[in-house]
Amino acid sequence: MKSDNISYNFPFSHIYVEKQAADHPLTKEILSRFKKSVVIPIDHYKDVFNRTHQDFELQKTAPALILAKNEGASVFAGSPVCQDFGNDHFYYTSCARGCIFNCEYCFLRGMYGSGNVVIFVNLEDIFTEVDMMCRQHHMYLCVSYDTDLIALESLTGFVSKWSSFTESHDDLTIEIRTKSFRKDIYDICKPCPRTIFAYTLSPQEVIDRYEQKTASLSDRLEAAAYAISKGFPVRLCFDPVIYFRGWQDAYAALIHEVAEKIDLSKVKDVSVGSFRIPAEYMKPLRKSFPSSSICQFPYENRNGVFQYPEAQQREMENTLVTLLQSLISKDRIYRAEF
Amino acid sequence: MLYIVCALPIEAKSLVLPLSLRKDQFSCPYETYLAEDHSCVLVVSGPGAIAASAATTYLLTRFGFKNDQDFLLNFGSCAGEKGGLYLIHKIIDQATSRTFYPDMCYDLSVSGLTLSDERAVTTCYQVVSSLEDSDMLYDMEASGIYQAASRFVPPHRMVFLKFVSDAGIVEAGQLTPEALKMCADTHATTVLKVMNTLRAACTPIPTFDEALYNQTALDLCASETMSHELRQLFRYALTSDQDMENLLQTMKQDGKLPVSSKREGKVVLDEIRQHLL
Ligand code: SF4
Repeated sequence: MKSDNISYNFPFSHIYVEKQAADHPLTKEILSRFKKSVVIPIDHYKDVFNRTHQDFELQKTAPALILAKNEGASVFAGSPVCQDFGNDHFYYTSCARGCIFNCEYCFLRGMYGSGNVVIFVNLEDIFTEVDMMCRQHHMYLCVSYDTDLIALESLTGFVSKWSSFTESHDDLTIEIRTKSFRKDIYDICKPCPRTIFAYTLSPQEVIDRYEQKTASLSDRLEAAAYAISKGFPVRLCFDPVIYFRGWQDAYAALIHEVAEKIDLSKVKDVSVGSFRIPAEYMKPLRKSFPSSSICQFPYENRNGVFQYPEAQQREMENTLVTLLQSLISKDRIYRAEF
Repeated sequence: MLYIVCALPIEAKSLVLPLSLRKDQFSCPYETYLAEDHSCVLVVSGPGAIAASAATTYLLTRFGFKNDQDFLLNFGSCAGEKGGLYLIHKIIDQATSRTFYPDMCYDLSVSGLTLSDERAVTTCYQVVSSLEDSDMLYDMEASGIYQAASRFVPPHRMVFLKFVSDAGIVEAGQLTPEALKMCADTHATTVLKVMNTLRAACTPIPTFDEALYNQTALDLCASETMSHELRQLFRYALTSDQDMENLLQTMKQDGKLPVSSKREGKVVLDEIRQHLL
């Protein structure tokens, strides 16, 4: 557990470099930016990332960076707890694992057990795999699934690369989900109707309490509005909706603020879903954060997914959908279904 | 509590005196020293990875290492090209080529150890004849300690501090006990500072009142599943700043607790949940 009585090393003070990734141009470029960091050669990223008994919360305070090569398959079928937005062939890919933000409810706590960040430098190999799959059928691919790719853009340039790649592949639609404030992406990339930028929106109370290091609500809205003004397809995600005392007023105020700052007629679609997590991630999530009320909430396990008690969940989601329906057509509101 | 493993009595001595540790009188297989307030315990393992691994297991199990409060330190000599005290970020076991990584989250610069004082160490099974890699340190215990400890100790709670005493077999043969002691004493001051820094991270995680939980489970005639649910409610109450004790007290005053059957217990458990959500 993190203690306030001791100092921590700066983020990425330690960079672990897989031997097979050492010569990759992106590795060299990233290392050139961290002159003060200690570089430690490793055989395989899992030697560091998959160690037992890691302290996720502590590592979030002083995360290490791991530069590796992703070998084998890197595109996977989308999880049933994630929304597919009506797409038949829904996949996700990992070009990075771990996130520089620190949301208390993040499923990565349960999934990986490490607060460090892995960047797979060989994006070109993922492109080859996706290229092959696109030839068989249209693909809907979440590329910012187990990270926030926009937040890593200055290090990786992956968002720009994905954007160009998608533009040249008619059978590919990608979603890049973020809680970042960065707007410069929209000056660098060219808008493409199949590259969707998705903003997770939460009341500022939730951001302050549970979404450490992420952009404020007003910054996220500003970035989303800027993307729309530049012609990019933007999705607004009220997902996860988090329960706390006073949630009704907070979410009503959130939607009011969104409607004030964003031209909702120009938003591609919106999604609503309350917090949920696959059962296998719940135990490690709770262990990783014993002092978190989100992690320790007495959820119900329904169909292998931990979620709010049914009545509560219905009330939360219905409230949001009702508020949104007065602002945006029904067919552009997606609800989490699993 | 700080758990320290030293291979040699000479290395141990340089910490035993300044920390005022006393020899443990309990008949034990290893020379063990303990602080009067039990804030620190040190074991002398003897040289070699297997000896170090056995002594580490003994130390951790006998004194009950606590993951959220304790630290394990290894302080000892090693071979290397340049003298000094080093913080180890990578351990290579020479025999198996396996590698181990203590977490490097803490900034120990206030104790005199900066990022440039970090090195990798190779654990050898005999004294090295020459230094193959000038950046590498060579010792005989670190991988044994790490492997034994990793069953109990998280990687951010292991700290390996190695001081260079020689440059391999030729010099090691010439190293007198006095010279080794002087070397260990020189670096002990920094080690003590590191220990002080680490003590600040020895704060226990707040927990709920286990006795109250047990009593409530009895009062509810709780089955195993109900007890599990109740435990989660206790955890949630603690993290969401809700006064469980007060709630249960009120329920007792209202005659809702204790109940006389599991069925009644379920109803009351549900009521507790409703109160908290
Ligand atoms: S932004 Fe997303 S990936 Fe990053 S910590 Fe938050 S929930 Fe996890």
